[in-house]
Amino acid sequence: MSRVVKKSPSVCTDLPLDNTDICNKLSLLKQLLISCFGPAGRLKQIHNNIGGRVISTSTSSVLLSALSSSQPFINLIRTSVLNHVSRFNDCGLFTAILCLTLLEQAKQSGLRRNVSIIVNKHLLGLCTSYLQGQNCGCKVKLDFCSSQYFITLAFSVISSKPACVLTEPEALHISKLAVQAFLLTVPCNNTGVARLGKTLTVCVEGHPVLDSAVFPGLLVDMPDIFFLNAENLHGRSLCTVLFSASLAGDLCELGDGNIELHGDADTDSQILDQLLELGKQVVQDGVNLFVCQKVIHPVLQQYLRGQSVTVIERLGISLMESLSQLAGAQPVATLHTRIPPKAYGKVKELTIKQFGSKTMLHIHPSGESAICTMILCHRNDTMLSELKVVCQKTEHVLRLTLREPCALMGGGCTETHLAAYIRNKCIKEVIESASLLGCSQTEYLLGAEGFCRSLESVAAALDHKCGNSLTDLTHAHYWTLPADVVEDHMENSLGVCGCGLVESCPSKKWTYLNTKYPEFSPAPVSKGTHLQVRVLDSFTSKLSGLQVAVETANLALDVQYIIQDTN
Amino acid sequence: MLGSTIINHRQHVGLQKLSALAEITRSSLGPNKNYKFIQDDTTGESTLVCSCFRILESLELTCSVGQVVYETIETHHRVYNTGSGCLLFLAGAWSHAALECLHRGISVRHIISAMSEGMEICLNVCRQCSISIKRREVSELCPFNVSTVKDSHAHQQLTPRASERPFNLGPQKKLKLSRHFRESESPSISTIHASQLCSYEPFFPDIAHIAETLSHGCTDAMNLVVKASQMQSECNQQDIAFDVTKVVTCVLPGLVEEQATVLPGCVVLVPAEQASVAHHLKEQHLKVALIHGDLAATYRHLGYNRPKGIQSVSDRLDLSRLSKEDTWMEKVVTLLLNLEVNVILVSGVASEKVIECCWRRNILVVEKVKASILKAFAVSTGAIPVTYATQLSKHCVGTGLKVSIWRDLSNNDRKRGTAVNITTDGLNCGLVTVILTSSVHAKLQTLEDQFWACAYRLHWALKDKALLPGAGVTEMVCIQHLQNEAEHDIRNPTESNGVSSQQNKPRTPANPYRDVVLTLMADGLKDYICTVMVNTGVFSKVGARAAVIQHLQDYHGTVGDVAAKFSQLFLHTDTCYNATPTSVESSETPAIKTYDNLCVKQEVWRKALDLVFLVLQTDAEVITGVDRKTNGAQEDLMFL
Repeated sequence: MSRVVKKSPSVCTDLPLDNTDICNKLSLLKQLLISCFGPAGRLKQIHNNIGGRVISTSTSSVLLSALSSSQPFINLIRTSVLNHVSRFNDCGLFTAILCLTLLEQAKQSGLRRNVSIIVNKHLLGLCTSYLQGQNCGCKVKLDFCSSQYFITLAFSVISSKPACVLTEPEALHISKLAVQAFLLTVPCNNTGVARLGKTLTVCVEGHPVLDSAVFPGLLVDMPDIFFLNAENLHGRSLCTVLFSASLAGDLCELGDGNIELHGDADTDSQILDQLLELGKQVVQDGVNLFVCQKVIHPVLQQYLRGQSVTVIERLGISLMESLSQLAGAQPVATLHTRIPPKAYGKVKELTIKQFGSKTMLHIHPSGESAICTMILCHRNDTMLSELKVVCQKTEHVLRLTLREPCALMGGGCTETHLAAYIRNKCIKEVIESASLLGCSQTEYLLGAEGFCRSLESVAAALDHKCGNSLTDLTHAHYWTLPADVVEDHMENSLGVCGCGLVESCPSKKWTYLNTKYPEFSPAPVSKGTHLQVRVLDSFTSKLSGLQVAVETANLALDVQYIIQDTN
Repeated sequence: MLGSTIINHRQHVGLQKLSALAEITRSSLGPNKNYKFIQDDTTGESTLVCSCFRILESLELTCSVGQVVYETIETHHRVYNTGSGCLLFLAGAWSHAALECLHRGISVRHIISAMSEGMEICLNVCRQCSISIKRREVSELCPFNVSTVKDSHAHQQLTPRASERPFNLGPQKKLKLSRHFRESESPSISTIHASQLCSYEPFFPDIAHIAETLSHGCTDAMNLVVKASQMQSECNQQDIAFDVTKVVTCVLPGLVEEQATVLPGCVVLVPAEQASVAHHLKEQHLKVALIHGDLAATYRHLGYNRPKGIQSVSDRLDLSRLSKEDTWMEKVVTLLLNLEVNVILVSGVASEKVIECCWRRNILVVEKVKASILKAFAVSTGAIPVTYATQLSKHCVGTGLKVSIWRDLSNNDRKRGTAVNITTDGLNCGLVTVILTSSVHAKLQTLEDQFWACAYRLHWALKDKALLPGAGVTEMVCIQHLQNEAEHDIRNPTESNGVSSQQNKPRTPANPYRDVVLTLMADGLKDYICTVMVNTGVFSKVGARAAVIQHLQDYHGTVGDVAAKFSQLFLHTDTCYNATPTSVESSETPAIKTYDNLCVKQEVWRKALDLVFLVLQTDAEVITGVDRKTNGAQEDLMFL
């Protein structure tokens, strides 16, 4: 007799944003993320409860993937941000913090949800068109003739992650490497469709950061360096063949069925004969470099080496694609047909490089290849894994500049500047906008205030030492005042603004963030300034982050019920 | 999932854990190490450990800070093989300093910036204090051989060379070291220079002297290292004085420690039957085959997938047919006999049948040979390693191998077998085996660790081409520099910070707490020196502290002197350890007797501070995969 298990009914949560438990969780998540934000952010140690590996990080991509919640509402926001991160690799914390603050502000304002939503949407439109417009005051045009801005951009990303534990010279070194690697992956010959290359990262643990380096071409780990005949390597162009099929000499997958084999039949030696046949053809065709993604039968290896062919096995799929691009070779997927001539490729030469305990074979491209390898060294694994994530992020950020060759002023200045611009714009156009959106002027201004405050609190989140966040009343850049400074000496102790482009001077006026100040139109920084911008943010990913944050917040505001199947 | 906030701003739990963890290394600092027993309550097993790395390895650290610490130490140990204890101790001492800073309300940012500066100061001190091995070699290194060095001939020989050197930096230095080796070792090079130099013993013990200063109390282990390096240089073709990658250790329990020795080539333990083959083969020029894998009929190379679902069918019954294994065996044995192979070195295992079959034909089969040994023999005999024995051909077989019985350890116990020494005649390509012995089984691990620590200390010294004054002297100078910097800040509070003012961006506001942080950092180093002094057994805790402080006061402001004079203070302890009755007052004791490695010290300090920074900047733990029901009771957890 079968037992009937009673199904428990679904759980329905009405108006999730009014639910205390959900609100507490949202604010916990916000606290957690704010504490990670920026170069002075705090780290989180992520581990499982059974003593797994510990990761120290403040990077959104790592952190958010670990922070899954039992509450679907939280996961909705988390997934949305993660999706942004997977596309742009940057500004994840910005997006998440802005989104959570917008929700909080909408709740505080007491506006009807639909009003908040339309006002947010409208203001997002204003922000986007301002940032994309010609007279945007917080944007820097990137000049491809100089690497300065690119290094600054890379440096801003790298130094924003304290878990890398880099000194300033080390961070600068890595920034330069990142830019160098980026430039190497941009193809020079622009005939036909230009295809961006790839940077491969090799991590070497236990060595000083300053030993990190970038090389054009590929570096392949060679545990069996012993087999390399140094004479074969140097100074001549090498005909190359790549195999993606396994050359281990085993039978391919048989499926579930059985095969009956005559007792005398020796499949192994038959396959081996076939492999050797293949070897003979390659040697005849003048191949000098024989690479297989998977395993090569030792007898075939021995034969090839005997014919002074350099053999690399177990290359792995990730390097395979890059090597085929580098050598211009087509990977061969079978050993049953003759290899067509066009499958062969060419590499310039092979050299051996030593990094700590790692011996690597350096495959030099014969021409322009846009493939390069970055060797990252760091003193321990925890910091190295964060550095690797950060370098990939930097690579992505630099690549995005090809799409939109500009950057936003970093260090919180874009946020405060944008807030001041929106405030000013809203007050000037309040009558038209309110009637356009179908809400009262008060509602419109209340919604706008919440939006601007959200932007400003993201900037203020950069400050973790309980100092005071300020903004100036000319350019609306972001400033921090150390907690222990008397207000009379303000202009002496402020130094420069967050992005480093504005200097404090006695005539300047400041106001604390999140206090009422007379609205004004923020002026762009004059071209004549002698100061160099010190912190830059990625334009494309910040713009997308802004959009994702507002849209996610709007979606969350729109949720009426959460229905959970608990079975 | 849950996030748990661990920080109460002024009582950083992570830092407390780190500094508590560092306490375990207190007794393993310095030359006088204490053994520790680590016992597993559940299994009742226990281990005898001596070094910081082994202690951490045997402990099961479950907290996240513990794991980060272990990971750092493990990486460091893998690369450097020495300095782990110092790393952990300083991480503890500086996390204590960071805690103190937090107590005083100094912000994390200020702590980090000041400590980074402090580190720069210390690393600079290292650079300034470092002594080129070159210079030492001529004037300083051989204080015991002062008379010979001062000999006019030697001076004539050496001064011009020394003056050439500044123009040729780099490999020159290394070159010279080894040239002395060859010159003193091979009188056949009968140039005037050589013959003159040959008459001066001191040049040979250059390495020996460097080694002695780096022994840090492990004299026996270091003697073995020196022996190994001498043996390597005897057959050295390249100008490498000591190649640590070509050294292997062989641990033999049951013999007294004095029997530890160094042999050329490799040493393997073989059972009695194999030993008889070895006896038969000794004093012959042998041919060798190298197998990279197992020596068995069923063995297939790595990555080969055995087909599943294959059934063998036959159309007739043939009982007389040989099994596949027998066919294979016959093939292999015929091949081996044709190629006249006498010795097979196998990296994996060999099947019983093969061993027996080979034994009957007087072929020695050695299993489980390390890959590095295989490589070394491939180079020195010209053999090419193959995966399958059937691959062997004439040009895969190496020649010139020699086998001798080093010692019969079997007595009544057949399993323990015989230690066979395998060498190549002529060029050995530097492979040497160090045999470590002890009648106390539990000590073997420690002896092996000590040997490797010594070997790597010498290796790094030769690589750096420089040494640091040891016995706490470098630390003393660092303390002095740190304190000077701190005092400078107190005296000129308005000025932006001291030496680093040029490096700082002009607009960065000065760090108001720099003096406090630097002083606390110096205290960490003081604690380190005191601990080492206490561990020597001569000083009490208070006594050590008083001596250090007194010394710093005495030489206040005179940086140069602090080093030389302090070392005398320390030498006292050092000589006591060596049980030579020298009194403190004996001013004729050589200036500095103990040295440290430059790069190792710098790396250790940086890594220690990295650990502190990582933990200091962490404010929460995120634990994944926690079940709310089971862990709900823990009050410090917050669930997301």
